[in-house]
Amino acid sequence: MTTEIQIDSYLTALRLHLGPLTIAEREEIIREINAHIRDSAEETGASVETVLARLGPAAELAAQYRDGLLISQASRSFSPLVLLRAALRLATKGVFGFVAFFLGLFGYTMGVGLVLTALLKPIFPANTGVWFVNGHFHSAGSMFPGPPPNVHDVLGLWYTPLALTLGSLTLLLTTFLIQTSLRVSQRWQSKL
Amino acid sequence: MAKSRALPAEGEQPDRWEAQLRKGALEMAALASLWQGRLYGLEIIRFLESHSQLALAEGTIYPILNRLKAEGLLTSEWVEAEAGHPRKYYSLTDAGRERLQLMAQAWVSFSGGLSRLLEPVFDKKENLQ
Repeated sequence: MTTEIQIDSYLTALRLHLGPLTIAEREEIIREINAHIRDSAEETGASVETVLARLGPAAELAAQYRDGLLISQASRSFSPLVLLRAALRLATKGVFGFVAFFLGLFGYTMGVGLVLTALLKPIFPANTGVWFVNGHFHSAGSMFPGPPPNVHDVLGLWYTPLALTLGSLTLLLTTFLIQTSLRVSQRWQSKL
Repeated sequence: MAKSRALPAEGEQPDRWEAQLRKGALEMAALASLWQGRLYGLEIIRFLESHSQLALAEGTIYPILNRLKAEGLLTSEWVEAEAGHPRKYYSLTDAGRERLQLMAQAWVSFSGGLSRLLEPVFDKKENLQ
């Protein structure tokens, strides 16, 4: 009976640490590991304790599952949140992931900023634009209160379509960049 | 990951390097074990132990199988067994077969090149004896 308790407590710990996965994924893993423990103990005549020791701590096993799935699923996702979360996980593993995460964060901020100011332009035409002073670039974006009087807006209403296009491109490029970094890192994952 | 750890003492490095090498080959080895037909997790572990020197922590293989399945390289099915509980059998998908063939080619050309490179090292060892 104590072996049942040992197996149960191992599987409970595993279930707990597999939290972020879907219930279906989690139960499938629990079922498979349960079968492994029983088969392994029976086949080798080893005690459940030995079998569990060979499996390694439940928390570590769960972490291996989580990392593998998070990164492989995210590399096919288009959601900024999913992508950034996976990149953040990658960032904890080394310089490459760190750079990918910050480039991703920068790209999304730029993209969202451009799209947002594009939408603000028709509402606050005087506060949004690309401003020049005496032929030199002064500033761009949305300013509240408005820009100083000596500057002039070079784009006018063209700002909206241009910023929209540029913003969308930046967002797409950022998505593609993070997906690629995750795919590349996958090839290394199994080596770590 | 290695970057976040302190460097091991000189003497430990070949062991650590070997461990990394084994782990790196594991994905390919898991795919290769299924070339001739479906197996369940424990059978894959035993297959790798008997056909190669890939002794591994038993927990390592399951997350790898899970990921290979998520990538569409493997499929799985639950099969009832006499043991009283069903077992999860894995088999290669067409994409998995293709990927394994590519990996095998890359591996053979890579290890062939390295073996030639290492020939003089082995010669020298013999000369010293």
